[in-house]
Amino acid sequence: MFLEVHDIEKSYNKEAIVSELNINLEKHKTLSILGRSGCGKTTMLKMIAGLTPIDQGVIKLDGVRVDEIEASKRNIVYLYQEDLLFPHLSVFENIAFGLRIKKIKDHIVDDRVIEMIENLELQGHGSKMPHQISGGQRQRVAFGRAIITNPALLLLDEPFGSLDAGTRKNMQTLFLRLAKTFNITSLFVTHDLKEAILMGDEIAYMDKGKLKIYKDRSSFINDPETGVLAETEFWKQLKTEQF
Amino acid sequence: MVPFAAAFGYSLLYSFGIIGVVNDGFTLEFWAEVFRSGAFLDALIYSVTIALISVFISVTAALWFTLKFQKKLRGKIVSFMIYLPLAIPGIVAAFFTVQILSKSGLFSRFSYLLGFTSGITDFPDLINDQYAIGIILVLISVVMPFFVLLFLNVYDNERLDQLTELARSLGASNSQTIWRVSLPVILRKTWTLIALYFIFLLGAYEVPLILGQESPQMLSVLIVRELKQFDLTKISEGYVVAVMYTILVSIATILLFSKRSTENG
Repeated sequence: MFLEVHDIEKSYNKEAIVSELNINLEKHKTLSILGRSGCGKTTMLKMIAGLTPIDQGVIKLDGVRVDEIEASKRNIVYLYQEDLLFPHLSVFENIAFGLRIKKIKDHIVDDRVIEMIENLELQGHGSKMPHQISGGQRQRVAFGRAIITNPALLLLDEPFGSLDAGTRKNMQTLFLRLAKTFNITSLFVTHDLKEAILMGDEIAYMDKGKLKIYKDRSSFINDPETGVLAETEFWKQLKTEQF
Repeated sequence: MVPFAAAFGYSLLYSFGIIGVVNDGFTLEFWAEVFRSGAFLDALIYSVTIALISVFISVTAALWFTLKFQKKLRGKIVSFMIYLPLAIPGIVAAFFTVQILSKSGLFSRFSYLLGFTSGITDFPDLINDQYAIGIILVLISVVMPFFVLLFLNVYDNERLDQLTELARSLGASNSQTIWRVSLPVILRKTWTLIALYFIFLLGAYEVPLILGQESPQMLSVLIVRELKQFDLTKISEGYVVAVMYTILVSIATILLFSKRSTENG
């Protein structure tokens, strides 16, 4: 397995936030994780990214233990819920950030950023500052900035949570295309049922700090805990009432 | 604006000898004399140097405190320690400094008691000295807390804790995070205020009056000294210095705000 997470525990003030966390994920796959607010999703991702220390457990990436390595050296990128861009940098420089800090030559950076801007369908916006583009465009820039560094693992923390339905749909399509183009391995956290089903090669459900990974889509749908059955029933009932 | 323009007009007329008790009409003599004596230029260089050093040290120290201790700085006791110097007027701070740093002050006495010095003359000149150490120390102590509060505010508003986490996640080392994210974000938001504080310190009066040396003097001290001379024929020279200082500061302020509005637009 490419990503192996074994028995991760995390508590704040003796309250367990994440417990017995185990994940196994193959390379170039996306595990979507459904969970309500406050269930420990963000803490889980930040621990894997190295931004929050773990109390115990082991994280391995491609067979190498990374839980004792600092965040900047893990090659794991954490993408925030908000479209968090560096406010002092243009769209171009935001995307180039990860390459600039690796001191890659300017002409290579330029070529790769221009290519990424095309992939993100942001042509003509390169010189704009973050406050001059829309929320959806900012989230695309954040995506591009994360992907261009070619991270071993991408952690997406409800990345489309703040977008309207139309933009969200476009972003989902964009992510699926980029994930395929750039062979991304990722954990995709969301509180949206449909999004969880659409985005993941595998699906998991998190509740009160515990993660349950389903062996296939139907077992996820048939588990009453996930809420899919209740949701389906709601729409069925609505349709019956109407006709 | 009207009183300021009226005062400026009055000073301008006085500097050209058009008004004034002992003046006989339009002359460029006072302007020529000020340039000949070099007093204005000396005072300007002296003031700019002191203001630059004070602002540079204050900003650097405030940035360091903010980035290093931003969580601790929000504690009650530490906040109180930051706010307190803001409430102390410059003149009071200058008198405190005299009590502490003068040759007969507290540090000198401690130094004598501990055997580091054998008398008053052994203690170094820390006030009214040629390097303006006393002035710079007081200006820093008055200005730095303001910058700490300003930077802390920007730290929160710009979500710098999240931006630094993000930079680390993208592979930036601690120093790269500071130089490429924290400092540019903070300074981009505050450089106008920093520049205004520089202009404010350029015109400092009470602190250099008490802690400064006889010559050169900071601009405000020089202007007041010239205006209060017993020799009435010299008063016009004081107005020349005041006019030049006002023009310089006005140009600097206009440039500052025109650049800012260009950036915002």
